[in-house]
Amino acid sequence: MSEDSKNKATFNVPIGPVHPALKEPILFTFKMDGELVEEVDFAPGKCHRGIEWMGMRRNPVQIVHLTDRICGICGVSHSLAFARAVEQIAEIEVPERAHYVRTIIAEYERLQSHLLWAGVAAHELGFDTLFFLAWRVREESMDVIEYLTGNRVNYGIVQVGGVRRDFTEDQFPRIEASLQYYEDIAAKLLKLFLEDKTIQIRCKQCGVMSKREALELCTVGPTARASGVAMDVRSDSPYAAYGDLDIAPVLPHHYLGLTNGDVYDRIVVRLLEVVQSVDLIRQCLANMPPGEVLWEKKYPKILAACKKATGEAVGRVEAPRGECLHYVRMDGNPSPQTWKVKASTYSNQLSWLKMLKGEQIADIPIVVASIDPCMSCTDRVAVVRDDRTDILTKADLHRLSVEKTRRLAQWS
Amino acid sequence: MVMMLGMDPISIIGGTVAVALFGILAGLVFMGVERKFAAHMQARIGPPIRQPFRDVAKLLSKDSIVPENAIPLLFNMAPVLALASSIVILLYIPLGGFLPVLAGYGDLILVMYLLTVPALALVAGGFASGSPYATVGSQREMVTMMSYELPLAIAVIAIAWRLAAAGIADPFSLATIAGTATGITIWSVAGPLGIIGFVLLLIVLAWVTPAELSRVPCDTPEAETELCGGLLVEYSGRNLGLFYLAQGVKTVAMAALAVALFLPWNISWYVALSPNAALVADFAFFLLKLMVVIFFSVSVIRVGMARFRITHVVSIYWGYLGGLGLLGLLCVVLDASLGGGGML
Amino acid sequence: MSFLPAIPEILRQFLKRPATNIFPAKYLPPSVTKYLQSVQEGKTSIHPPVETPPNFRGKILYDRDTCIGCKLCIRVCPANAIEFLPETKRVRIYVTQCIFCSQCNDACPVDALHMSDEFLLADEDRYSENMIVE
Ligand code: SF4
Ligand code: SF4
Repeated sequence: MSEDSKNKATFNVPIGPVHPALKEPILFTFKMDGELVEEVDFAPGKCHRGIEWMGMRRNPVQIVHLTDRICGICGVSHSLAFARAVEQIAEIEVPERAHYVRTIIAEYERLQSHLLWAGVAAHELGFDTLFFLAWRVREESMDVIEYLTGNRVNYGIVQVGGVRRDFTEDQFPRIEASLQYYEDIAAKLLKLFLEDKTIQIRCKQCGVMSKREALELCTVGPTARASGVAMDVRSDSPYAAYGDLDIAPVLPHHYLGLTNGDVYDRIVVRLLEVVQSVDLIRQCLANMPPGEVLWEKKYPKILAACKKATGEAVGRVEAPRGECLHYVRMDGNPSPQTWKVKASTYSNQLSWLKMLKGEQIADIPIVVASIDPCMSCTDRVAVVRDDRTDILTKADLHRLSVEKTRRLAQWS
Repeated sequence: MVMMLGMDPISIIGGTVAVALFGILAGLVFMGVERKFAAHMQARIGPPIRQPFRDVAKLLSKDSIVPENAIPLLFNMAPVLALASSIVILLYIPLGGFLPVLAGYGDLILVMYLLTVPALALVAGGFASGSPYATVGSQREMVTMMSYELPLAIAVIAIAWRLAAAGIADPFSLATIAGTATGITIWSVAGPLGIIGFVLLLIVLAWVTPAELSRVPCDTPEAETELCGGLLVEYSGRNLGLFYLAQGVKTVAMAALAVALFLPWNISWYVALSPNAALVADFAFFLLKLMVVIFFSVSVIRVGMARFRITHVVSIYWGYLGGLGLLGLLCVVLDASLGGGGML
Repeated sequence: MSFLPAIPEILRQFLKRPATNIFPAKYLPPSVTKYLQSVQEGKTSIHPPVETPPNFRGKILYDRDTCIGCKLCIRVCPANAIEFLPETKRVRIYVTQCIFCSQCNDACPVDALHMSDEFLLADEDRYSENMIVE
C-alpha cells in the first residue's frame, strides 16, 4: 500500500463529533495520504454544559454533588478535588478515617475506570470479546461501590469536611471478596490483553510518544507514565490517605523491562494500576483508624463555615486519567466567587497531534482512545457567536487571562 | 445417493429458484445461529435466531436513501449484483446429496472467479457512494480481495491437481471433488503426507473465509469503529437489506465450498437408505457440516481476535497463509509423486 | 494457542452459562408497552432486576407530618429539586429533577426525608403523580 499511496492525492476525512469510534463528541479533521495520516487537527468544545456557571450560583455543599456529575466515570475524583480546595480555604480538618474512606472509594473508581477503558480499547480494536469481558469484570467494582455508597455511578459520598458514609466492619467481607476476585482474575486479564498477538501487532509501535514529548506536552496520568514519566499526584504530593500507603508510580518497564511509549504501554500501565489499586485498598482496610468520618455532622454549621471562608485554593487529585485540578475562590458569600475545573484530558489532548501523525486510518480510534479522553469533563468553554465558533489564539488567551486576573484582583 | 436435477431448461430454472430460496433462507438462519454462537462465546445471550429475518424485513420496508454525490445507477445496482452473484455461486456447489444445478456448465475455477463478483459489487457500490469512508472502504476491499486470492487459489489447485494425479477424470468439477456421485474424496486418494497437506490447506481455507466474508479480523473494509461501516456507510433501507441477504448467501456459499472441498462425506455412503430418506439424511448432514464450518471459520475466528490493519491483511495472507498453502501443496505433490496410498 | 489466548477462553465460555442479566425479559418483546401491560395484569412475569443493596438511594420518601418546614433541605439540594409551599409550610420534591444524592436526608433535622429502593421511575410526564412527592 505504502508504495502506490505516494502518487495518491491527499483527501480529508472528518471524524466526529458523532462517530462510532468516539465515545464523546469532538471533531477531528484528518488530511490523509492514502491510508496514512498526514495532518491532524481537532476541535473540542462540543459538549459544554456550564457546570461551573451552575456552581457559582450554589453553595459548596451543593456543588460537591454537582462535581460528581462532571464526569460519569471519575466523579469522585472531581468531588474530592473540589472538597479539598474548599477545606483548605475554610481551614477544615478532615478526620483521619474519612481520608481512608475517600481513598478506598477513589481506588475503586480507578479500578472500574481502567477496566472500562480496557473494554473500550478492545472495542476500538474490533475485539469485542475482551470488551464484554472487561466490562463484566468491571461490574464487580460497580457492585461494591453501590454497596458502599448507595449508587453505582454518582457515588455522592464526599462531603466538605469528610465523607457522608462510614464503612462498617460487616461491610469488610464484601470488600475483601471483591479484592480476592480481582486478584484471581488479574493474571487472566493481563494474559488476554497483553499476550494476544493481534493486540500486539495493532498496539506496539503505534501512537508513540517519547518521554521528552510527554514532558513537553505536559501530559498527565497513565498517558505520561506509559511514556516513562514517573509522575503521580498520589505519590508526588499525597492527599487523603495516600501519604500513609506504600505507593509508587506504575511504569511500563516494570512489566516489559523497557518503555516504548506506545499504545501497548498504555494498556500495560492501566492494567497494572488495576492490580495496584487492589493492593492500595487492602492497605487502607488494614490501617483504617477508628473515629468520625465527618468534621461536623450538622449541615447548618458546614454551610456557615463555607460561607465565612475567604481565600483561594487548588485541590489536586490523581484521577484515573491523570491529574484533576479544581481552583476555588471564596469571598465570604455562600457561593464561590470563582470555580475552575481542569480535567485530566485537558492536559492530555494535545498529545493526539503528535501521536496520530504518520499513523494509519486503522489506528486512529485506538490512538485517540489511548489517552482515555473524556471530553465532557474537559469542555469548559464554548464560544458561539452568530452561529459560528471563535477560535482563540495563544495571544487571545493570554489577553483574556490577564484581564481576568485583573478583575479578580479588583474584587478582593 | 445422487439426484440429478437434469439439464433441461425447466429444471434448471426450477433448480435455480430452489437454490436461491435455500440460499437466502439458510443464509439468514445461519447468520442468526452464528450470532448466537458469538454471543455465547462472549458470555452473552445474544439476539434470538430469527433476528436476521426481522432485520431484513425492517430494512426492506424502509426507504433507500441515495446520497447527493453518489452515482445513482451504480449505487442501486451494486446490491442487486451482489445478491445475484452470491446466488450464482451456490448454483455451482453441490449441496448435500444434490449435484450442483449447473454442474455441467462450470467448475472450480469458475467458482473462484465468481467469488470475487460480490466483492466487486461492494467495491463498485462503495466508490459510487461518494463518501470518503466508503472510498477508503472500497480501496481496502480491493486490497483484501487481492490478498486472499493467492491462498485460496493454492488450496483449490492443490486439490484438483491431486485428484488429477490420482487419475480421476474431470478433477476441476466440484461434483467430482465432492465425490457426490463416486464416493471418492480427496482424503481417500491421498496418503499420509497428502492428508497432512490437505489439513494445512483446510486451515488456509478456514482463514480465507473471514476475509471473503469481511468479518473480523478482516472486516477492515467495513470497520465499524474506524470507517463507521466503510463501503456500506451510505447504504440504507432496501439496498442495505439486499447486501445483508447477499452476505448471508455468501456465508452459505463459502461454507458449502469448504464442505465440498474438504468435508464431502455423505451419510448415504455408509448407511443403506431408501433414495428419498438418503436425500433428506444427506441434506441434514450437509447443514450440520455447514454449521460446523461456520462455527470454526467465522465465529471462533471473529470472536477470538482483534481486527487487522489492512497492511496486516496483505502480509498475513500473502506471507503466512500463502506460505502455509504452498507447504500444503508441497506435501500433496510429494504425496502424489511418492505414490502414496489411495484406492486407485 | 499462546499467541491467541482468547481462543481457548471463548471455547470454554461457549459451554458455560451467559452472564447476561435477563431483566426484564430474555428477548425484547415485540411491543414493550403491551408487555408491560400484560405484566401489570399479571399475565406475564417480569424477570426481577438485580437486588438493590441496603441503603440504596432510590426515589425519595417524604413524611409531611414530621416535617417542620425549616427549609434546610432546600438549602443543601444541589439540583434545586425541592420547592417550599408557603401556605402549608411544607415542601414538594420533583423527582425528575432530583439527582438522588440523599443530601436532604442527611440535612433534615427531624428525619422527615428518606430514600426508598425504588428505581424504575420511567414516566412520560414530568409532573405525573409518581414524579412529585409532597
Ligand atoms: S436527594 Fe438530593 S437532589 Fe434529591 S431532593 Fe434530596 S438533596 Fe435534592
Ligand atoms: S429539612 Fe426536613 S423538616 Fe426541614 S423542610 Fe426539609 S423536610 Fe421539612
